[in-house]
Amino acid sequence: MTAYKSTSQKSTLDRTLFGAMIGLAVLGLLCIMSAVNTLGFSNAVVRTHLIALPLGLMAFFVGRSFNYQIFDEQWKPLYGIIWALLVGVLLFGTYQRGSKSWFVLPFFSFQPAELCRVLVILVAAAFLDRQGRRIRDVRTLILLGCLIAPVFGLIMLQPDFSSIVITFPALLVLLYCAGVNVFYLAMLLVFAATAGFFTLAWTYLYLHPELRDYAMLNVFADLSSNVWYMLGFVGVLVVLGYLVWWIFKQWRITLPVFSIVMVGLVILAGFFGSVFVDRQMKPYQRKRVEAFLAPQSDPQGASYNVRQAQIAMGSGGVWGKGLFSGTQSRLGFVPEKHTDFILAVVGEELGLWGTLSVLALYLLILWRIVAIAYMASDRYGYLVCSGIFGMFLTYMLINFGMLIGLFPVAGIPLPFISYGGSNLVSSMLALGVVQSVYMRRITSG
Amino acid sequence: MASTKILFNNRLKSLLVLAGLAGAVVALRLADIQLLRHNHYLQLAEQNRTQILYQTAPRGRIFTADEKAVAANAPAFNLYYLGAGPKEKDYLTRLSNDLAPRLNSTPEEVSKKLDQALKSGKAVALAENLSPKSTMGLKELQLYYPGIYLLEENKRSYPYGPFASHLIGYLGSMEGRDWKNRDLTLDYRLNAKVGKNGLEKKFEKELKGRDGGVYLEVDYRGRVKRVIEDRKWRGGADIYLTLNYDVQRAAEEGLKNSLTGRGAAVALDPRTGAVLALATAPSFDPEMFIPYSDEPEVKSKKISEYNVAVQGIYPPASTFKIITAIAAIEKGGFDPKKIIYCPGHYDAGSRVFKCWSTHGPVDFFGAMAASCDVYFYTVAAQIGPAAIEKIQRMFQIGQPTGIDLPGEKAGNLYGPTRRARNRSFWFVGDTLNLSIGQGELLVTPIKMAQYAATLASRGKVWKPYYLDRVVNPHTGKVLTQGKSEQIGSVDIAPGTWDLVYKALKHTVDTGTARRVKIKGLDVYGKTGTAQNPHGDDHGWFLAFAGREGGKPEIAVAVFVEFGKSGSGVAGPVARQMLEAYFKTEQSQHSAAQEKTEVLGD
Repeated sequence: MTAYKSTSQKSTLDRTLFGAMIGLAVLGLLCIMSAVNTLGFSNAVVRTHLIALPLGLMAFFVGRSFNYQIFDEQWKPLYGIIWALLVGVLLFGTYQRGSKSWFVLPFFSFQPAELCRVLVILVAAAFLDRQGRRIRDVRTLILLGCLIAPVFGLIMLQPDFSSIVITFPALLVLLYCAGVNVFYLAMLLVFAATAGFFTLAWTYLYLHPELRDYAMLNVFADLSSNVWYMLGFVGVLVVLGYLVWWIFKQWRITLPVFSIVMVGLVILAGFFGSVFVDRQMKPYQRKRVEAFLAPQSDPQGASYNVRQAQIAMGSGGVWGKGLFSGTQSRLGFVPEKHTDFILAVVGEELGLWGTLSVLALYLLILWRIVAIAYMASDRYGYLVCSGIFGMFLTYMLINFGMLIGLFPVAGIPLPFISYGGSNLVSSMLALGVVQSVYMRRITSG
Repeated sequence: MASTKILFNNRLKSLLVLAGLAGAVVALRLADIQLLRHNHYLQLAEQNRTQILYQTAPRGRIFTADEKAVAANAPAFNLYYLGAGPKEKDYLTRLSNDLAPRLNSTPEEVSKKLDQALKSGKAVALAENLSPKSTMGLKELQLYYPGIYLLEENKRSYPYGPFASHLIGYLGSMEGRDWKNRDLTLDYRLNAKVGKNGLEKKFEKELKGRDGGVYLEVDYRGRVKRVIEDRKWRGGADIYLTLNYDVQRAAEEGLKNSLTGRGAAVALDPRTGAVLALATAPSFDPEMFIPYSDEPEVKSKKISEYNVAVQGIYPPASTFKIITAIAAIEKGGFDPKKIIYCPGHYDAGSRVFKCWSTHGPVDFFGAMAASCDVYFYTVAAQIGPAAIEKIQRMFQIGQPTGIDLPGEKAGNLYGPTRRARNRSFWFVGDTLNLSIGQGELLVTPIKMAQYAATLASRGKVWKPYYLDRVVNPHTGKVLTQGKSEQIGSVDIAPGTWDLVYKALKHTVDTGTARRVKIKGLDVYGKTGTAQNPHGDDHGWFLAFAGREGGKPEIAVAVFVEFGKSGSGVAGPVARQMLEAYFKTEQSQHSAAQEKTEVLGD
């Protein structure tokens, strides 16, 4: 921290953070130009991106010049804007690729959910800032849930799965940093894990009907549709809870009944959540989960994309094939190469050095956000930085994880690099807010 | 600062550490993919983007000594659908309707293949191995339908049809065993054709060239982006045989037009042992195994792979009398002028041996010319079987000639020593049978040709060879050079040879072998009729000839299965071969005149 206040005049721009962002943007622009070289709309893509870049920079400087504390004070209007955007897109938006998530204006299209990812963090941080010492109270969590759940609901109506995937972990990070009781966070995770497990397992069974020949698996698969099986599951859960309590009692440890009931309820909530999801899930979404569970099983199917992306990266080697020379991306083997799979293009054309550079720049950005968080002049600044840290961490982990086979393909762009104006603008806006925190930091000088 | 401690906990810092750890894991995995497994993925990427349309290389040609390509190559065409161009159902239907009649196929089948191409995203061969004549129309279609692509490759062709078919062999698809035993250094593909028999099989490695191919860069939908490389094929090595085209042709025609159309004829150069002709009848057209796909296929592909010339064993019959004569002369005290009376039969005490005719008084030359059995019975009884066996061994009867062809039969030596080895007895009757080349004596036509060549060269036993050289057509380098090899000799007095030559000349001039008397040539010959207890007798004809006053240049053995007579059936074949060799313009008229007089022996 000391390095930044040594000059007589207070620095108003974290150059490292800004430099890393610009570095990624330049790398991204080059790779997008290379990736779409052969596409018919190549010129349009590059042109749009070239328009989005200055817009993003503008958003960055606007975010920086605004005093972030305004978001804290005016969180209710901000929350209103979120609603307005999300309801608006449901009413006036346009369908693209099966989801109603676009505002198509005469000169450009705009995805409000991208902006909402940032706004939700600002609002949640403001809400948590106001809770003060009640932060460890479970009621804080429930109230926040009441605040955010409808927003998620609106997003799911589009549906925009990826916004949830990004925002939920970012909020978890925010809650953790705000000092929420870890037990409650653990409960949240148990909920997510239960819901995730059942969803994945049922999806797998749905895609592999031959496994239903095994009686146990068949019963398991019917859990989501058969009410009696569900009641049985609830019964088993109650008995198990009592058993755990009883066993611990034999060891002279009396577990609080409240926590056991809580865990049970959370598991049940997760279970019924995934029953709900299972009934809502569309076949293409199941295919995406399938690719995660068994990447090698169907080379022409869902895992084909990951496979081709890995071939692209691996064939790039250490030094890459050179910009505009990647066969995998140029010939279209890598799908969504200028958006979700842009890293594969980086890996193929710039090699290991390219991918490591992107990774290093991301870690640099994360480090700067954390450093700025601890410089913040108030608690809100700290919380905002935590939330934005969580968001970029999630982006980074999912994008890299997707390529190296650790996460399912979720269709999430890599900010600053991928093509996509809305994402670029809102990501730069987020870093602008972080810069705003930096500009208004505490200095001893 | 105390208040900041309360406001800001250390949780975010710990998360940063976690992020750093996650980054490290990601970096390791990236290094694993991009550094350690780079080659594996690079290979996959290359496979992704390239599609190879193979072009079969021309097989090495096979030439006769007079440079006639008896096995060559013809262009064949493959029709591909590259998946480029429009994909509308209407377009595809029109395309399959237009293509089907030209490919001997139905529109349904063609559109099925088109669908397959579209689904797999790769180019699919709609038709392979099309003849040049049907591709004229397809070339035109190519202009209207941008998705189809005609590619030329090579196909074996046999310009002279069944010429030397048993020697050259034929091609066929690779079967399980061929595939397992294939030479891994050569790029065999599943639909490759390999030599199944004869020289095509024996020289498979030399004949097969390196296939060419058009390496296409295709995108993820199989659309051709560009040609990366047009790798030219490399033809296989050319094989030059010692065969004389005209002699071989004459032998085949002769056998085909003979009484039964079955048999073998072999001609050797007595100066080297080089094979001038090696014919087996009935022959086959090797072309029928590799038809163009748009040509009607030959229904019955039953052929006799049995190569009578090297695998058929029969008694040499009267042609063997030359050995008996040599044995008698070599034994000493032989007077060719001595007259023996032939009453038409020979009394061997317990059994009466018949002559094929009643010759009356005959001397050596007369007996040879008329092939009188009684004369040779008498001579053999005087000299004994051991003397005959000795000469027989010099001619290496009962041993394979060693020609480099699979399945050559050795035949059978007949004599008292052999009989003793078999722990059995030798009777007088055996001596008499031996003297006229019957009994247990067995020879192959190639053996008889070697025998004739030994006579013609005055005692040189050659190992017959047909391979002159194998040449790399690109560099002209000789890869293998065939060479003449003498494997034995018949060491007898020059006077003996003179007597035998005189008798054989006499046989041609006045006797049973008159069939091969040709003006301007010194022809020596002997006929033979092998008794066949299972059917009609087999005909043999042995001849060798040189220009008048010169040394013999060609030795011929003709065998006609069930030909009944050596003179009348095998003789004309031998004559045609000799004529073909010397290209004498002997009038066909006089030959026809002689034909009226059927001679036996």
